[in-house]
Amino acid sequence: MATFTGYLRACGDDDLVTLLRLRPDLASPSPSTLSSLAARATSRASLERALAAVDAGVLQVVEAVVALGAERPVTAASVRAAVAGDDAAGARLVDAALADAQARALVHPDLPEGPDAGARTARRRSTSRDDVPLHAAPGLAELLGPYPAGLAPVEHHRADAHADTHGPEDPAEVRALLQDAPAGARQVVDALLWGPPVGLAPSNATATAGAVQWLLRRGLLVHGDSRHVVLPRRVALALRDGRTHRAPALPPTVPTDAPHRSPALVTAESVAAGEHVVRLVARLAHLWERAPAPVLRSGGLGVRELRRVATTLDIDEAEAAFVVELAGAAGLVADDGEESPSFLPTLDLDDWTALDVPARWAVLARTWLATPRTPWLVGSRDERGAVRAALDPELHRTWAPRLRRSVLGVLADADGVALTAHQVLDVLRWRAPRAVPPEPAVTAVLVEAGRLGVLGAGALSPAGRALLASADDDRTAADAFAAALPPAVDEVLLQGDLTGIVPGRPSAALEALLDATSHVESRGGALTVRFTPTTVRAALDAGATADQVLADLAAHARGVVPQPLEYLVRDAARRHGRLRAGTASSYVRADDPTLLAGLVDDPRLADLGLVALAPTVLVAQASTRELVDVLRERGLAPVTEGPDGQVLHLEPVVRRVGRRGAAAARRRASAAVAPTGPTAFREPLPDARLAALVPELRRADAEQVTDRVARTRDLPHPGGDPTAPPAASLRAAPGPAVGPGDGDGPRTPGTPGARPGTTDVETGASYARRAAAVRARGAGRADSGAGEPGGGGDVTGAGRAGAGVRGALARTGGGAAGAAGVGAVGSVGSVGGEGTADPAAALVLLREAAAERSTVWVELVGPQGVPERRLLRPVHVEGGRLRAVDPAREAELTVAVHRIASVQRADDDPPGTRFGTPGDTTAADEAKETT
Amino acid sequence: MTNGPLIVQSDKTLLLEVDHDQADACRRAIAPFAELERAPEHVHTYRLTPLGLWNARAAGHDAEQVVDVLLEYSRYPVPHALLVDVAETMSRYGRLQLVQHPVHGLVLHALDAAVLAEVMRSKRTAGLLGARIDETDVVVHPSERGHLKQVLLKLGWPAEDLAGYVDGEAHAIDLAQDGWHLRPYQEHAVESFWHGGSGVVVLPCGAGKTLVGAGAMAKSSTTTLILVTNTVSARQWRDELVRRTSLTEDEIGEYSGARKEIRPVTIATYQVLTTKRKGVYTHLELLDARDWGLIVYDEVHLLPAPIFRMTADLQARRRLGLTATLVREDGREDEVFSLIGPKRFDAPWKDIEAQGYIAPADCIEVRLTLPDHERMLYATAEPEDKYRLAATAAGKNRVVERLVAQHEGDQVLVIGQYLDQLHELAEHIDADLITGETTVRERQRLFDAFRAGEIHKLVVSKVANFSIDLPEASVAIQVSGSFGSRQEEAQRLGRIMRPKSDGKTAHFYTVVARDTVDQEFAAHRQRFLAEQGYAYSIVDAEDLDVAQ
Repeated sequence: MATFTGYLRACGDDDLVTLLRLRPDLASPSPSTLSSLAARATSRASLERALAAVDAGVLQVVEAVVALGAERPVTAASVRAAVAGDDAAGARLVDAALADAQARALVHPDLPEGPDAGARTARRRSTSRDDVPLHAAPGLAELLGPYPAGLAPVEHHRADAHADTHGPEDPAEVRALLQDAPAGARQVVDALLWGPPVGLAPSNATATAGAVQWLLRRGLLVHGDSRHVVLPRRVALALRDGRTHRAPALPPTVPTDAPHRSPALVTAESVAAGEHVVRLVARLAHLWERAPAPVLRSGGLGVRELRRVATTLDIDEAEAAFVVELAGAAGLVADDGEESPSFLPTLDLDDWTALDVPARWAVLARTWLATPRTPWLVGSRDERGAVRAALDPELHRTWAPRLRRSVLGVLADADGVALTAHQVLDVLRWRAPRAVPPEPAVTAVLVEAGRLGVLGAGALSPAGRALLASADDDRTAADAFAAALPPAVDEVLLQGDLTGIVPGRPSAALEALLDATSHVESRGGALTVRFTPTTVRAALDAGATADQVLADLAAHARGVVPQPLEYLVRDAARRHGRLRAGTASSYVRADDPTLLAGLVDDPRLADLGLVALAPTVLVAQASTRELVDVLRERGLAPVTEGPDGQVLHLEPVVRRVGRRGAAAARRRASAAVAPTGPTAFREPLPDARLAALVPELRRADAEQVTDRVARTRDLPHPGGDPTAPPAASLRAAPGPAVGPGDGDGPRTPGTPGARPGTTDVETGASYARRAAAVRARGAGRADSGAGEPGGGGDVTGAGRAGAGVRGALARTGGGAAGAAGVGAVGSVGSVGGEGTADPAAALVLLREAAAERSTVWVELVGPQGVPERRLLRPVHVEGGRLRAVDPAREAELTVAVHRIASVQRADDDPPGTRFGTPGDTTAADEAKETT
Repeated sequence: MTNGPLIVQSDKTLLLEVDHDQADACRRAIAPFAELERAPEHVHTYRLTPLGLWNARAAGHDAEQVVDVLLEYSRYPVPHALLVDVAETMSRYGRLQLVQHPVHGLVLHALDAAVLAEVMRSKRTAGLLGARIDETDVVVHPSERGHLKQVLLKLGWPAEDLAGYVDGEAHAIDLAQDGWHLRPYQEHAVESFWHGGSGVVVLPCGAGKTLVGAGAMAKSSTTTLILVTNTVSARQWRDELVRRTSLTEDEIGEYSGARKEIRPVTIATYQVLTTKRKGVYTHLELLDARDWGLIVYDEVHLLPAPIFRMTADLQARRRLGLTATLVREDGREDEVFSLIGPKRFDAPWKDIEAQGYIAPADCIEVRLTLPDHERMLYATAEPEDKYRLAATAAGKNRVVERLVAQHEGDQVLVIGQYLDQLHELAEHIDADLITGETTVRERQRLFDAFRAGEIHKLVVSKVANFSIDLPEASVAIQVSGSFGSRQEEAQRLGRIMRPKSDGKTAHFYTVVARDTVDQEFAAHRQRFLAEQGYAYSIVDAEDLDVAQ
């Protein structure tokens, strides 16, 4: 029986590249060997992620393989029959799904292992043959739950075999039995038929109870526990005609009742929405540059501030939250980081404002697509019952960008059709049945896309399509948006009721003029504005004159400027500036004008900057003290007055947050866009890099195998005390991890020189865990070992090795040395062959063993730290625990995974034959060479 | 993208470019469902409102037609959400119907059981609905027919009233069309009303609404109750009916403060109906005094709230509302819709003016700069006194004098709000004055003399705002008004809108004190004028002197 690792070894390079691309979490951080790749690929987290990415068709075949494989070997033909029956089109879908599942290493064929490439290719061809047995990846069965494809586990059948009632085996027999079933029995069977196969046993003395009893007596149902009955697998399969699924899952088609939108409508609405959102963001920034919004202690924007934004921008609060979040995500506004912090526009805002509208839109749209922010949650309550605020740091959801892309992807496929959230969800449910987003989130994404103009009238707009297609090129999206803009109109119809109408999209010059002199009444295909004394005054305040305003309006007007409008402008100008304000530092006043008249013209007082405001009042630019001093010098006798009556007029201060704050905001945004945590979604690495990675894996792996073969030859089999070799292995394990260990010096413990190198590459979770384990186990020795003779030399070597590793990593697996370096430090206890002390590799061995029901040698560390070696048959590995049966003691035991020091296949070479790994040796040697 | 004349904005306004070739066709197409909001020189603004769309439904238009019209004439793609909203709104009308059931009498019938369930669950319908007959029908207490319609409208499910009307007591009425005929639009208005059963006819002042009423009465040929705003108006109705129909003076009764006659055709004032004694309406019996076949409401937009409540009980009788504008300052448009009926006919002022049935008017605002002492007085006055101070500025007398002089030989009406000011003005320009204190007899005398051209100048207070008929007034000068009431402006403008025998342009002056609240209120009123399509200009009082 082929193992999963064996299958990976047998895979061609292309297959591995495909696998790494389809499951990006396997490629980053780079795995050291094929065994560690296998370990990672069969870890629960990775399998979860892989299942989350497959469509309903693939999930069906995986379920079928798992469900059927529990009983007997599965082949492509049996999967086809189980899923598609004799439906030829369905069979093709199943074949495609099987190929996909295999490409993702969720299902693998039973292939004999062999080292050479030619044989690999030949084998790969053979996988398409129907008679090759298929296996589900180890660990998959646990993920699919106790009833894959709604079938009861095989155990029920076997357990039942000892019971008094022998259930029928033959489908015909089952049917015949059911023919005579009492009323209600068939309904009971039907309810359980397609799963879940477990039902609550009815209480006595009901009609159903009779039926159930009848079924139980004939073995058509069996007892689950005291309260439940189970439809046995054989009965279900007999009634299902051997099918695991009713029908193959068909890719959903575009619903026929979904309305198709004309391209002109989609374009017009998307552009209008896009322009609107750009305007709203600009207005938000304008609002906050004058009146910054205070930051809540929790980091968000208060409800009242949000309401203020909504009122000022004339939108509802939900849309205001969206605009605020969008501006924040784009780094256009940010927390200024002051002692009492406020949200302010950043310096980036000025760059953004300098762009044209399409480019501005593109910046916003791209930000939106990539941001993990979830504006629609603003206003809802979190688990603690607190209202979620806009710009609250808590509103990050790493899945948000993926959701947006997948939703838009669905709309992109439904060309020009407007889909409801429900319809989008139907498609998503097929595409990734294990990761269906909640409907409110899908609805929210559609609403946001509509607000942004990525959708127009509910269908994907050309600009939205360009945005989706061009990964990080703002220009393409901006160009698509620009192309969709209707031609600009440079003419306004001015009317006697003091309104003006631009029958189309106003040109930039016209819009600026109208912005300055009027306020907008309605927008849409046309722009209507109204002139009021206030708006005209604002234009005059900004420095325009009545003649200028009228001339500008006349230049854009169709026909003449109506008399009432002209009168309005002139009247506003007449009243404008009748009050004057200015700045002075001090004043002199006197009841006698003649006293003051002499002061203004006095050359000796010129430095005071005296100006006569009125016959009895002079103001001075000099301070009161200076003024008084100078006047006294001149022989006058002034007295000072209190500051009453002094008017200060301050220009509004426009504020910005510094580059530092903006950079921080960007960092936050990008950090969230490209999350690095172990659970985060990863984009696949480029194929070229993946292709470069595969030979490394294969080589490292081959070296392990060669080495194992060599050692098997050289070293005697250990016998006797089974605990002895593991002890050696245990000692060996930490060695290479921390030192530049070669085969001879496994006890060279962690030295200061080696550590930095180690720390540098230990980025992945498994590495970190391993390092921790190493530290824990080797800590004592490390302290004493540092002073051992020869340690100095090792220290140097280690330092060099570390350096080599760093260099190699910098090239990211660009060469052999890199991979070897990774091997040197990364694959700590990784062992040649099938036995391992590497926890990750150990886990895969355990999972494989559980899947195959084979036995393994497991070295357990007891509570006192005493290792013990036992031959176990793993049942399953989950949640950091191994459940296994010890056949020798006829007992079942559950142990924490961290107590397992090493695992070895029972049919493998006995332990004790390996110390450090060959990879380590080579790596260290190579590192030395390179340095 | 077509090159249509209409631009549909997403805020549900429709912009119609009037100089466009298709503008006329488009105007006719959208008139049934869109309310004209303003009609200045280049672009007219219409608005889509639920009431407007339901009016259209009541007139037999469906959502598809509305959408087609919008799509046909729109220059740019019509916002999708708007079309959805139109269809959704229109589909709400008539899902509930008030019908006569052969067994159960008046029932509310639902075409959609879910809607009925929804409205029955509402607290507002409690007590209005009786026993449920089946899934889709529920008994309605006949007395609650009007109230129910109001409530249903508020709930957003306006009911279509198909329960029909009582015939009423027959009484022969004919139009005496000797030497005159109903104008085409008047005929059309009568037809539309009669076809719809009940409803409102919107015609500008001076377009002959009384004749539409007379036409409807002739069509109905039943006893008729006519509700008007005041006594003068009641007398004018009576005179007009005597002149234009086969009715004689004896057949027409006046039910007002002065007289309480109940005849086959009875004209009552709103005021007498709403008079309360010890908290009880004492004249309500009038409504049931006869088996009225038709009730006519003059100036529906002024209908006082109590009358609405009384009207709620008259739902079994045909109701005709006449008005120049559906805009109510109190925003009770929806009550007009549910209690009197949907709009059945509407003709914009400009159209009728273009047909020569009402006089073209020239609107001019005269701005008066207050002398310094008055400005100081104004600047330091209490806010509540400011308007009065500004409106009654002494300088206005001189301006009026000059305007009167300018229009030597024309019939000039000076309208104001404040009695002191009017007394002073009347004295200043040597004219007669009519105020609330003037007796009806004296009023009639002065009106007759003015009509006959024996006197050329008349100063009137706001009593003359409504329903007085001064055919030959060609110049109106308003010196003060009720703050910014647009509806008052419409009425005052209406005073000079009757076509002049010599076809002269009418003049409408407003004298305003510059830089005061007077000017702000004037701006509000003028906006209405401009929106109605009347060109207006502003001149300075000083420039009048120069013109002299």
